[in-house]
Amino acid sequence: MVGFDQVTKTYGSVRAVDGLTLALHPGETVALLGPNGAGKSTTLDLLLGLKHPDSGSVRVFGGSPREAIVGGRVGAMLQSGGLMDEVTVGELVRLACDLHPKPFPVSDVLARASLTQLADRKVNKLSGGQQQRVRFALATAGDSDLIVLDEPTTGMDVSARQAFWATMREQADQGRTVLFATHYLEEADAIADRVLVLHRGRLLADGTAAEIKAKAGARRIAFDLEGPIDEPALRDLPFLTALDVSGHTVRIQSSDADATVHALYGLGVYPRNLEVAGLGLEQAFVAITAAEEARTS
Amino acid sequence: MNATTATNAGNGLKAMKVMNGMSGMNSLIKLEIIRALRNRKFLFFSVIYPSALFLLIAGSADSTTKVDGTGLTLPTFFMVSMASFGALTAVLMGNSERIAKERESGWVRQLRLTTLPGRGYVFAKTASAAVISLPSIVVVFVVAAAVKDVRLDAWQWLALTGAIWAGSLVFAALGVAIGYMASGDAVRPITMIVYFGLSMLGGLWMPTTTFPDWLQDIAKWLPTHAYAALGQAIEQSRAPHAKDLAILAVSFVLFAGGAAWLYRKDTLKA
Repeated sequence: MVGFDQVTKTYGSVRAVDGLTLALHPGETVALLGPNGAGKSTTLDLLLGLKHPDSGSVRVFGGSPREAIVGGRVGAMLQSGGLMDEVTVGELVRLACDLHPKPFPVSDVLARASLTQLADRKVNKLSGGQQQRVRFALATAGDSDLIVLDEPTTGMDVSARQAFWATMREQADQGRTVLFATHYLEEADAIADRVLVLHRGRLLADGTAAEIKAKAGARRIAFDLEGPIDEPALRDLPFLTALDVSGHTVRIQSSDADATVHALYGLGVYPRNLEVAGLGLEQAFVAITAAEEARTS
Repeated sequence: MNATTATNAGNGLKAMKVMNGMSGMNSLIKLEIIRALRNRKFLFFSVIYPSALFLLIAGSADSTTKVDGTGLTLPTFFMVSMASFGALTAVLMGNSERIAKERESGWVRQLRLTTLPGRGYVFAKTASAAVISLPSIVVVFVVAAAVKDVRLDAWQWLALTGAIWAGSLVFAALGVAIGYMASGDAVRPITMIVYFGLSMLGGLWMPTTTFPDWLQDIAKWLPTHAYAALGQAIEQSRAPHAKDLAILAVSFVLFAGGAAWLYRKDTLKA
């Protein structure tokens, strides 16, 4: 339903998006991750037809992004999406409904974004988190098949953020595809069926959060060793993806911790304070992008 | 699905999209008008201020003083100047500052994610400015007729309203061009310079015959001068000068062309 085929977008000498190929499928909830400048916003702009690729093609529901929007199939919430000021929340949401080919009732849209109480408030009198909810209301004013959200929970407090994702999950359960870019990796971990890791405009990883963690070295092993440490022997441990020795403490990342620990005892050492822990998505993400930095520099 | 139903569905979808763009456009125009009417400062400068200025300038003049070389009394002459000035204020200020600010805030981008056709935003802005400019014109007329006993034939009142209203499109286009050229910070000073420069030099505040010769030579080429001259020709019951019509037409083409070019540039960049 959404297809990027060898898409490249350059600004001057910077390749914001570099030969990106990806496909989204109906009903998926997809997180787009990447450090600043990885090309997330450009990717979303290309998907929404706000920018045009230098080469390659972007297809949305079998047509151009603009055709998909005009057909009411895409609802979007931009980080940089300003709001009309001096109008009330209710008036603005009504406008969004009027502009959608398959609109929901205004009261439903307001309720879903928890804006019913604020309907008569002027848009420019809202807090950052409240404005973010208005943007969300604009993105969900009609029955779109794809919802695109750029950093949707920026400026929201914890409870607003939880309420937001509960609503979003409802949207996904109704069969909509949700694509969101975020800085909060725990959100991607908790919400997304699929995680795309973008780095310097290229797709570095594409899979479930669990797969991404596995790719980065799924588990972290830490222990202390007494006496001289034989680093080369440690480095040869099976399934090891990263090794860090500081003083007596050894930290290992492994894609199969059981096998690595088993082999560790095979070396004839006596590891003390052994800890094996899962890698968070955040650490996985840092590991993947750092590995890529190291490879390309 | 066979080919015929596919085509029918396609046509239906197309019709639906067009209708949707239209009803959405109407909602946007309505909202722009509501919002302009709520803005007291804007209403004051576009509706009250021209009438107040009219009373200030023409108030002390007796109704028989003639403006040099026009055969019109001072109140009659200034009624057209101030109605033109009011319409200029409504369309120029309304468009330029809002567009520049909303480009910067990202509202223009957000609208591009809706069914609203690309030029719909500019169209809605101009349409709502035109609705606001109508009272600016009429209020000056009513004040002039009631307070300064300006009397014209019925056809002249209608023609004046129509000509000043239609002529304001030239400046609406200029406002759009400034809105797409200037950044949010620079838009106000630029608008002010253009606005006061065009109003004063074009003779909306005082007859250009009071200017030194060299300034008169410049003034008579300004679109605001041609704009007021259009209304004064109606008051004199004669056809407008071809030169004035040409100046307005060329200005419109330049401003609208510039606006279209800047709009396209901005859209590609955004």
